[in-house]
Amino acid sequence: MNGPPADRETLEVDVLIVGGGPAGMSAALRLAQLQKEKGGEQLSIAVLEKSREPGAHMLSGAVLDPSALKDLIPDFKEKGAPLASEVHHDHIYFLTKNSKFPFPITPPPLRNHGNYIISVNRFVKWMAGLVEAEGIDLFSGFPASELLYDGARVVGVRTRDQGIDKHGAKKSTFEPGVDIRANVTILCDGVRGNLTKALVRRLALDEGRLPQIYALGIKELWEVPKDRIAAGTVIHTMGYPLRMEEFGGCFLYAMPDGLVSVGLVSGLDYRDPMFDPHIAFQHAKQHPLMESMLRGGQMVRYGAKALPEGGWHTIPRVYADGVLIAGDAGGFLNSMRLKGLHLAMRTGMLAAETAFDATRANDTSSAQLRKYEDRINNSDVRRELYSVRNVHQSFSYGLLPGLMYSGLSLVTGGWWVRDPMPVKAGYEHMAKLADYYGDNRPDVDVAVRPAKIDRKLTFDKLTNVHFSGTRHAEDQPSHLIVHDTDICRTRCREEYGNPCTRFCPANVYEMVDAGDGTKKLQINASNCVHCKTCDIMDPYQVIDWVPPEGGGGPQYEGM
Amino acid sequence: MKIAVCIKQVVTREWQLRVNDSKTWIRDQDASFELNEPDAYALEEALRLKEKHSGEVVVCSAGPARASSVLREALARGADRAIHVEADALASADAFAVADALAAALRDEKFDLVLTGLQSDDQGFGQVGVVLAEKLGMPHATIIMEVKAEEGGLRVKRELEGGWFQWMTLPLPALLTIQSGINQLRYATLKGIMAAKKKEIRKVTPSAAASPAQKMLAIHFPEKGKKTQMLPGSPAEAAKALVQKLREDARVIQ
Ligand SMILES: Cc1cc2nc3c(=O)[nH]c(=O)nc-3n(C[C@H](O)[C@H](O)[C@H](O)COP(=O)(O)OP(=O)(O)OC[C@H]3O[C@@H](n4cnc5c(N)ncnc54)[C@H](O)[C@@H]3O)c2cc1C
Ligand code: SF4
Repeated sequence: MNGPPADRETLEVDVLIVGGGPAGMSAALRLAQLQKEKGGEQLSIAVLEKSREPGAHMLSGAVLDPSALKDLIPDFKEKGAPLASEVHHDHIYFLTKNSKFPFPITPPPLRNHGNYIISVNRFVKWMAGLVEAEGIDLFSGFPASELLYDGARVVGVRTRDQGIDKHGAKKSTFEPGVDIRANVTILCDGVRGNLTKALVRRLALDEGRLPQIYALGIKELWEVPKDRIAAGTVIHTMGYPLRMEEFGGCFLYAMPDGLVSVGLVSGLDYRDPMFDPHIAFQHAKQHPLMESMLRGGQMVRYGAKALPEGGWHTIPRVYADGVLIAGDAGGFLNSMRLKGLHLAMRTGMLAAETAFDATRANDTSSAQLRKYEDRINNSDVRRELYSVRNVHQSFSYGLLPGLMYSGLSLVTGGWWVRDPMPVKAGYEHMAKLADYYGDNRPDVDVAVRPAKIDRKLTFDKLTNVHFSGTRHAEDQPSHLIVHDTDICRTRCREEYGNPCTRFCPANVYEMVDAGDGTKKLQINASNCVHCKTCDIMDPYQVIDWVPPEGGGGPQYEGM
Repeated sequence: MKIAVCIKQVVTREWQLRVNDSKTWIRDQDASFELNEPDAYALEEALRLKEKHSGEVVVCSAGPARASSVLREALARGADRAIHVEADALASADAFAVADALAAALRDEKFDLVLTGLQSDDQGFGQVGVVLAEKLGMPHATIIMEVKAEEGGLRVKRELEGGWFQWMTLPLPALLTIQSGINQLRYATLKGIMAAKKKEIRKVTPSAAASPAQKMLAIHFPEKGKKTQMLPGSPAEAAKALVQKLREDARVIQ
């Protein structure tokens, strides 16, 4: 599998970072700092990123807890960090269809004073500038498609071949992927990263851990009249449009000049196979609380991305021979605070420190890289995540038990009767139509709870996708590999009613007439915004998201 | 052959355009940008000519500071060096001012061949190449689909309307405006990106910004209008009338 054809090039580096998000950029910067502090032979460092330009695939809320930033770049203000606004007002509401009930107090861990509202796209672009200024090779537009192994040891990655047509044949411009060999590879490929997924499976790094639980975040960027909401306002909601059985809530963050981030995070462990997160988001915007803020404004960007919400007990072993895992790829996210940026940055930094020492010691074995885990255990990362370790799991028992538990966990320090709580993978929660709807089987091609689409406040998926700036080279194989499309026509249609047509927020999956009175799956791969939901939530686990040709994907300017 | 390729940074095609406050240009403060498509083909053509006939490929862009990213991209694809005529006003300048800025930067270098894209994806005047040729005192040919170097000059294929082509010859030095699709674009490579770091981007400030020859009065989105026409008659008659309309009014069939 790893045998190179004669024309495949090889590049050798000391440390390779895959994924140029907050985790990857922090790892790169930390390595450059250590290099300066400790001197010695210059380490060669490279960062691989699949997006056309740095930050283009970045989507987040985002409220940034600046703790890691302060350590990594103490003079971040002088260096012009793009922090849109400090948080001034913090509200949490419980929503019913037409009303809102403020939470009387904001529990301390949810307070956002001292935090900043940012566009993570801008933030990562800024970090990319600092990384390049350190002379580090930042290759954007180059997805890593597979890990290179020497036995069980990771020795680098192979970038994706470019110039293959949709039938799998080489075009005249074919450019074989490059083998990048590294002493240490740091995987920062984000939520459900394709390399991390393959590595965890191959080396069984999740043995003895709970299965990861994910959520899908759907977000829009709006411009509303400038005096509508004070910059620095942070609003979180629970309840409507989600039901008791669904985990999640909305966020609304106000930046200067009337720029507003609004989104819905829904747990990818819902029961109702007809649940459609995109429609739920439309309902959310129609709620008087949201509507009063967005009315008269303009939606300017759209996007979606999954988040790992399982917490402490779902984090796999994050080191092995020659490799470390940081950020969302490892599941370092605090779902109770809806915050992963600072943990991504922190774990990126700790991974860099470990990789630096290991490279200097000329020992990048698992035994040496294990120090990464020690570093994590001695850091705020564990302190923060351990105390909320059962939060999302408790919500898998429903909203009320979840809320009670979240409240309790603040008192008990996260302890629960059964610790860790038992939990199934998210997709296993999805019920079959027959079990959920009994004799009232819905028409699976029609929404059960449709939303009125006016293209002002609410949008259909296709219109929304236009606002994600998504583009892929058309003449290439689909990067969504459905291993058995027969299931779609037969079993899945019967049992779950093709939920991919609903959970995909970009209208990639469509059931179209097969011509014989039945329906077949059509994959509009060029719409894909790389959110990873299908790879996560497909009840038969037959969908694999693999990276498309370099540079393909969304363009999340300002998100 | 010493070749100059003029390239422009434009707003990406996927960007949802909005008009700026003065309604004279698009709001581009928060836009994302890319290399103008026909310019990418012009660059590719230059690289292929260099590979065949040896020489040097120099890329030149007249634009604001952000335009340096397309120059770096061109260097990564194989251009030897770059010239950046940098001024904020060049972001939305007219063809005359841009051609003037480019001519000043290119004139002394005595290029054998200057390539530009056919037109830019934003303003779409298709004039920069033509005016630039005039300013450099070179013959030019537009909408080029094929380039062959011959004894003493070039043989080039121009695209005409309705699927027609025209072959013509030009002496060197000359300027060509290149049509998209003339060749197959190569992919950027890791080695190319690393090599680009060591290549020169020379910054030039335009001496005296040429006064524009045109003034943008206003831009607006096309007005959306729906017109329904009923074609009466029997199905056969209606079909005939429809074909005629598609051919003569809509011009979508021949
Ligand atoms: C809707 C939403 C709201 C959120 N709100 C907040 C918030 O308010 N505050 C907060 O702190 N956190 C928030 N988060 C979480 C936060 O965004 C993540 O925790 C954080 O982005 C993780 O950083 P990362 O670097 O680990 O991964 P990512 O940010 O996902 O970066 C991974 C990078 O790797 C690249 N990549 C992936 N695979 C490959 C490959 N094979 N080859 C090359 N490159 C690859 C991707 O393109 C991407 O650029 C939110 C998340 C979502 C989805
Ligand atoms: S195809 Fe999959 S990864 Fe792509 S947008 Fe749809 S759900 Fe997300």
